[in-house]
Amino acid sequence: MRTAEFARTWRQDRWVRPFFKRYRKTLAFALLLGAATFAFAAGLMVTSGYLISAAAAVPESVLALNLPLIFVRIFGIGKPVLHYFERLASHDWVLRMTSGLRLALYRAMEKDAVVFRTARRTGDALGLLSEDIGHLQNLYLRTVFPSVVALLVWFALLAIAGFLSLALLAALFLTLGAVVVLAPLVSVIACGARRMRIKACRNELYAELTDNVLGVSDWVFSQRCGAYLERYRASEAAMKELVRAEQRFSRRRDVALQVLFGATAVVVLMWAAGRFGGQGTDAANWIAAFVLGFFPLIDAFAPLSSAAVDAFSFSDSVQRLNALPEVDDHAEKPPVPSGPFDVRIEGAAYRYPGSDKMVLDGLDLFVPQGQKVAVLGRSGAGKSTLAALVRGDAAPVCGSVTLAGVPTVRFGEAMPSYVGVIQQRTYLFNMTLRENLRIGRADASDDDIRTALASVGLSGLLSRLPEGLDTMVDEAGLRFSGGERHRVALARVLLQDAPVVILDEPTVGLDPVTERDLLETLFEVLEGRTVIMITHHLQGVSAMDRVVFLEEGRVALDGSPAELARASERYRTLLAFDRGAAAPAP
Amino acid sequence: MIDRSIFALPGVRRVLAALAASSTARALLVAGQALALASAVVGLWEGGALADQAARVAVFLACFVGRQLLASVQEAHLERYASERADELRRRLLLRVFEGGAGVVQARGTGNVATLVVEGIDQVETYIRLILPKAVGVVAVPLVLLLWIFPLDWVSGVIALAMFPFIVLYMVILGHTAQDEAAKQHATFQALSNTFVDALRGIDTLKLFGRGRSFGASIYEASERFREATMKTLRVATLSSSVLDLFATGALAAVAIMLGFRLVDGALPFFPALAVLIMVPEYFKPVREFAADYHASLDGKNALRSVLEIVEEEPAADDAALRGAAALPLWSERATFEARGVGFSYADHRVLDDVRFSVRGNARVGIVGASGAGKSTLVGLVAGFSRPEAGLFVLGGVEVGDLHRSDWQRQIAYIPQNPYIFHATLRDNVAFYCPDASEADVERAVAAMGLDALVAELPQGLDTLVGEGARALSGGQAQRVALARAFLDGERRVLLFDEPTAHLDIETELELKERMLPLMRGRLVFFATHRLHWMVDMDTVLVVEDGRVVEAGDPAELAGAGGAYARLALQMGGEAA
Repeated sequence: MRTAEFARTWRQDRWVRPFFKRYRKTLAFALLLGAATFAFAAGLMVTSGYLISAAAAVPESVLALNLPLIFVRIFGIGKPVLHYFERLASHDWVLRMTSGLRLALYRAMEKDAVVFRTARRTGDALGLLSEDIGHLQNLYLRTVFPSVVALLVWFALLAIAGFLSLALLAALFLTLGAVVVLAPLVSVIACGARRMRIKACRNELYAELTDNVLGVSDWVFSQRCGAYLERYRASEAAMKELVRAEQRFSRRRDVALQVLFGATAVVVLMWAAGRFGGQGTDAANWIAAFVLGFFPLIDAFAPLSSAAVDAFSFSDSVQRLNALPEVDDHAEKPPVPSGPFDVRIEGAAYRYPGSDKMVLDGLDLFVPQGQKVAVLGRSGAGKSTLAALVRGDAAPVCGSVTLAGVPTVRFGEAMPSYVGVIQQRTYLFNMTLRENLRIGRADASDDDIRTALASVGLSGLLSRLPEGLDTMVDEAGLRFSGGERHRVALARVLLQDAPVVILDEPTVGLDPVTERDLLETLFEVLEGRTVIMITHHLQGVSAMDRVVFLEEGRVALDGSPAELARASERYRTLLAFDRGAAAPAP
Repeated sequence: MIDRSIFALPGVRRVLAALAASSTARALLVAGQALALASAVVGLWEGGALADQAARVAVFLACFVGRQLLASVQEAHLERYASERADELRRRLLLRVFEGGAGVVQARGTGNVATLVVEGIDQVETYIRLILPKAVGVVAVPLVLLLWIFPLDWVSGVIALAMFPFIVLYMVILGHTAQDEAAKQHATFQALSNTFVDALRGIDTLKLFGRGRSFGASIYEASERFREATMKTLRVATLSSSVLDLFATGALAAVAIMLGFRLVDGALPFFPALAVLIMVPEYFKPVREFAADYHASLDGKNALRSVLEIVEEEPAADDAALRGAAALPLWSERATFEARGVGFSYADHRVLDDVRFSVRGNARVGIVGASGAGKSTLVGLVAGFSRPEAGLFVLGGVEVGDLHRSDWQRQIAYIPQNPYIFHATLRDNVAFYCPDASEADVERAVAAMGLDALVAELPQGLDTLVGEGARALSGGQAQRVALARAFLDGERRVLLFDEPTAHLDIETELELKERMLPLMRGRLVFFATHRLHWMVDMDTVLVVEDGRVVEAGDPAELAGAGGAYARLALQMGGEAA
């Protein structure tokens, strides 16, 4: 049952309710202004009704009209002014809250960011999460604010009615109660589940369409586009039917609401007639005042039901955010190991949470400080997992992985001082080149940065940049080529100055010439450090001290390139294949 | 706020006429409601009994509810109309996307196209549904009410009428400035959320460098700075809509005050004064609602424009049939293919220039060159994804110009670096070109391309769902699926490879090569790569340098010739050479 699911989401919510508590005063102020706006709108009609009634009675002195005249002016000008400040206050609150939400989202993601990502979160999914925050803004502005304001107005109205007469209180409690409580409730029961189904249908349609648009060239080659369009229309028809049902419901509900408003107006009229009628004209002036005063309040109550249903459109955003891990600020004191920084892996096994398959299974590997190791293997052989264990992003399920004798997971936040990583895809932030490099070391001076850039062969590039280190990366048409990006990443790692560097397939997607140049630079500048290079082919391997082949989570081949070329048939075959035709034909 | 193209929608005139009628009727009911209520209140005010007002109250209630009933009927009609128009637009849009092929998608990005089809069209639907009644209502309702207000009290009529041009004028100004303001606002917001997404995307990088925590603080600061900037602009932007509000409530207050003075003077009886007072808020209501929906309508308007832009683009469906040419025969041993001075540019950058070559029969043609030399573009032109800007292709001696034609594309199997795997069963993916293939044929293709190990491992074998959001295939497996597709369809006699193994590990590449080579026999093959070991198995090599074919011929001969190919081999071979 989706409604139950929705209720559970709200109970476990960590993303909506906690934020009400923050900036309580601003929130209360905005809500109060919202209610006051309606009070002023009603006040304008009340005083206007009273004014013209009193005027029609032709008072002996115009002075009797002074007070209502003043109030008409106050309400007439005050209402738009209040409305103005209400909008400012509510937006200010929502934006403050958004800052908080962004920070919370960032920290949740930061906690979850496993290096060598398991392809779980693509860029699009991240964009989606960021949009969810936008949806929460809408939830506040479109559902929460108007609903609370309407409730406030209702309570105020009941308080006034209770002061005047119990009968009026009972009548308003019933008629407006039906509008404020019953109608939204019925709407939610009737439409909430359907709204979520519509949303689910739409997402499905969207996913299916994206899938097929991505494969559009295959559709063109297949010459079967017509068939696909037919299929799309069929799956869309189901959703359209749901949408039509919802529209039908809300049309009927709106008529019912209008009947209730009409009835309330009549109730007010009847009560006013009974209370003020037939006892001389002075009191009778209040009849028009009360009756007219009710109408502006309809605007406060009318959107409640649809706002309640709208909340369901946002529920998947709330769900997605609530599914993120909780952040705990608990941090262990990091160890301070002393060298040598040897990497020692003994009998390590690892499986991803929720899977039975051992990715690593009894792996033994000792890498003394300063050694350069190439790790080869097919996809799925455990190369990236090995790197994650060495970096301490995960602990082995059995066996041990240590750096300088300390289990790598214990390093926590201190790990970047010991292990640097160059990833497959270098991420350059949309900031200046300087800021991008300072991610390696926050207090790096411009001279440090220039030295690092020079040693990775980017001095030429730097001198060509229009604003030098202040140039924004990836903007205004300035795009670094794949090779250049890797060099920037390398410079970042040089600034970081860690004794161990992991290269995770650093040359994927580069053409062989660029690749060769980059590898040469890499080996040159990383001289003296431990290098663990994960790679999928043999380019650059001959410059390494040692080559390790992983297979089914263990070491299958291990030796220096020369040894392997001599002793291993398999290595020779691959070598011959890789170089085969590249060398000029005999 | 209103896009002209909305008035060009089919059947819109009839809808507008119906709306004019129903808006007028609604305004009449509003007037009726005001008159009935006013007369009931006046009756009570004069000391009459409540029971005597029953008829008037009933009329009021009937008008009040009748108004909503009318609105409800009108809404139902509009919902139907908007949904029909949306369906029609979506159908045309999809047709363009799927027949225009990669070109339409490439120009706009996959995400944008999918968003436009699903969300964009929904926004257009909402836009049509909301904007038409509002546009008619904003004219009809005040006009009808004015006709009632004037006879009741001409002074109030003058106030209301005088205020209207102000409001309209102000709305025009508001429309312009608000549009600029909204655009600016949107741009800063976009910049902020881009920064945020940027940080999220690079979060593992931040973590690798131990900068995760400190970066969070700077995100918060940026967000707060944005809030302050937004509040500054909002102070101005909100002011304009509040001024509009001020006009309306101010006018109401003015009417009330004027009525009061004239009642005291005895210039006016109570009844018309009260009726006017009830009508005036209704008079301003449509205008205020019209202004309030500004942002919602902006989205719809932009979406409509983007949709129409694609739909009304020149159709690419210049099929052989349309051109009146004879259909191409199936590729055979005697067929010939020629590129005659073909050129192509992206933006202002010339990618291919005066490319000339010709092949005959089932030749295997390797295309090599450095990154950015134009290999992929050349393969794209042969596949018919794009059209040459200069030169033409000649098939079997017939000048065909570009290759975006169904009788050519029907013969092609295209295998890029990352073949697309649909979210469907493995069987449907393999049988993508021939959905009616027999079980035995599919199994033969699966076995021939070495997919049987995968099938054995999958829980439901060939019926397992694969692709995005289901079981993901590795790069090598995806290649095998693409090859099996080609294997299954015997009519696909032209194989186009674009860097099919660049990202695969060397052992997988070795295994795939063993499967690919037999498939290439008896077919025309274009194979673009920078892995030169493939060239041994090619009949001809085209060496591309800076968008030109600088060398062509037998790979073994070229290797010894000391020309461009030999140079490339030396560079790429690196340590091997």
